[in-house]
Amino acid sequence: MKTILAFLAVLAAFVAAPFALGPYYTTLIIPILAYAIALTGLNLLFGYGGLLSFGHAMFLAIGAYASAVMGAKLGVRAFEAQLIVAMLASGTVAALIGLLCLRYTTIFFSMLTLAFGMIFHSFLFKFYDLTGGESGISVPRPSLFGASFASMSKTAFLVGPFYWYALGLFSVMFLLMALIVSSPFGLALKAGRDNERKTSFLGVPVFKVRYVAFILSGIYCAVGGAVLAVSIGAADPELSYWTQSGNMIFIIILGGLGQLFGPIVGAVSFTLLQDTLMANTEYWRFALGAILALIIIFAPRGILGLITRALEWRRR
Amino acid sequence: MDPKSGIDPKSGIDRRGVLKGMAGLAAGSAVGAFPMPALAQNTPLKVGIIAPRAGTAAYIGANGLRAVEWSTEKINASGGIAGRKVELVVEEETNAKETLERARRLVLQEKVDCIQGGYSTGVTLPMAPTLEDMQVLTIFWDGTTQDGVKETMPSPKYVFKSADNECEAVMASLIALKHLKGQFKRIAAISPDYTYGRNVWTAFKALNKKFGIDAEVVSEQWSSFSQLDFTANVAALKAAKPDLIYCVLGNADLPIFMRAATSAGLTDTARMVLVQAGHQHGQLKKPFTPVGTLLCYNTMYFARPNPSPAQKEFVEYYMDKYKDYPHWESDRAFFAMNVYKAGVEKAMAAKGGSWPKPEEIAQAIEGIKVESFGGPAGMRKDHIAEEMFYGGFATHDNPYDVCTLKDTYSYDASVLQKPPGADFWGWLETANFPV
Repeated sequence: MKTILAFLAVLAAFVAAPFALGPYYTTLIIPILAYAIALTGLNLLFGYGGLLSFGHAMFLAIGAYASAVMGAKLGVRAFEAQLIVAMLASGTVAALIGLLCLRYTTIFFSMLTLAFGMIFHSFLFKFYDLTGGESGISVPRPSLFGASFASMSKTAFLVGPFYWYALGLFSVMFLLMALIVSSPFGLALKAGRDNERKTSFLGVPVFKVRYVAFILSGIYCAVGGAVLAVSIGAADPELSYWTQSGNMIFIIILGGLGQLFGPIVGAVSFTLLQDTLMANTEYWRFALGAILALIIIFAPRGILGLITRALEWRRR
Repeated sequence: MDPKSGIDPKSGIDRRGVLKGMAGLAAGSAVGAFPMPALAQNTPLKVGIIAPRAGTAAYIGANGLRAVEWSTEKINASGGIAGRKVELVVEEETNAKETLERARRLVLQEKVDCIQGGYSTGVTLPMAPTLEDMQVLTIFWDGTTQDGVKETMPSPKYVFKSADNECEAVMASLIALKHLKGQFKRIAAISPDYTYGRNVWTAFKALNKKFGIDAEVVSEQWSSFSQLDFTANVAALKAAKPDLIYCVLGNADLPIFMRAATSAGLTDTARMVLVQAGHQHGQLKKPFTPVGTLLCYNTMYFARPNPSPAQKEFVEYYMDKYKDYPHWESDRAFFAMNVYKAGVEKAMAAKGGSWPKPEEIAQAIEGIKVESFGGPAGMRKDHIAEEMFYGGFATHDNPYDVCTLKDTYSYDASVLQKPPGADFWGWLETANFPV
């Protein structure tokens, strides 16, 4: 019940945002929603499964490129079709890579995912006839539920129909994840994170549970990537670079690792923080780095952890 | 805010306060809140600048930023553009996603009248259609590698592109063909593995073929972006024994490569053609840039004989203030600002003194001519810039710690750049080059 109430509060804030904020901040919320979707998936693997992936930007890029290839090269403008292809492509790649990566845990798992992520980045970068190389591929405006919105300017499209579409998508993906983490599957995933051997002795197929979580996280990232690509208007190799994976991990930690609302809180905080810093200082990278260090030291459970502690302190 | 230059050092905070009223008005029109040309003419003219400020391209961005600040100061000192002072709002160019967000911020939040800047084609390609769609007058400094440009926005209304990136490479090829014909039979390339590098190397080979030079390609080295260790590449090039090395490195990697190549003795046996020497010429110090190296300086050569008064003044200012030598990105920034100024004033004169709309300014810019640092320059009717390009062979006979050109060869962009509507590769085959 608490989760539903909290979700309704978040949803109300996002519904109110376009009316309360100007068009610029509304355009900024679309990448927030894209990251929130992607990181809700990564949080399943990292937060609930205890598996730190340094390569999940690859799945973000798969989603973006699926949208780009479908829209620009194949002429399929229906965003629903683009999403299905993105999910299928990402799920397939995750299923293949997961078989190899999940044979390991801890740093070895992280390094393997990093390696696959960088292989994919190299593929996007080097096979430029196919992928557009460093310039990437332009993403034409998609149609939503069959409507093309051709008469709208790009900004009007983004802050209007696409904003509501992305919000709807986030809501569905979030509620689905809420069901997943509270299901026996979610319990098994957390149990495997906390004590793999004991969980196995209880008859839980830890590898299989993690494998499914890996595939689900890849699919979520691809959906986020497809949304992101429409907002940017391009899919480029930077989306799959390891620094992007680093950013994704940073956002999860900033919001609150292993907490359902962590990704959305992290995405909002990170995007607004970066926007404010970039607008005010050319040394914004230093500030972001310092904030990450401070969070790791003083608030390892992220912003949500801080809020929880503050609420507990008030109750006392 | 610095009243002289019009630059707000805090970049944004105070302006937001000043523009609260404007933002309120714009909020009413919500999604259609784009620049409003009918603003009172006593308000500053806001120009958004997008340039790299960190990483291997920071040196290039700094050249552009310093020049645009200098130009703005000069324009404001002489009364501004059509009577309005210019105020710069600077945002950093990073990756495509972030830079597009910065551009949107400039338009939707800062309400700039014009956007100038842009270095990487990977960034300008997604930016161009977005800004065109937002009906924002945009003048790019750079970022026009052919593969992207020909497909993206064939006939823009609000966006103006820089001269083709490949111009300097075509010039490098023409100078090499004219002055080194018969001196090389074994050629090699080193370049970052990206579209521009691949394009210009292919163009060089195509021009060799066109002019009957049957040179054997003995090595192709494709480095990664921002690569800082060239030991393996230098060893491979040395083993291949080329007579001529066509080098397309251009960021911080270029001086690092040249140090490694000189240390290994590679420059003793092979003539170096530095296609993008202009990007880093202040870092190409004499000890590792041999006499005779072919240097291409793009649209500005700081030691050009008989420079324009503007270039002379700027180079003196730059060398005095920054203890460095300005390069072509300074010229591009100066050119963009002066094209904008000339366009606004021309459109305003045509309207009998009332402030023109962005599309009227854009129309006035088409075909306009201005004097840039590098000499006479202009904007073609198809929204592509035309400027002078400079190159030549290195000499150490100068008072600087870097090379200069023994003889300065200059080419008009009309010679180096495909005509409107033409395909780059088709044009290379059919064009009559002055060799």
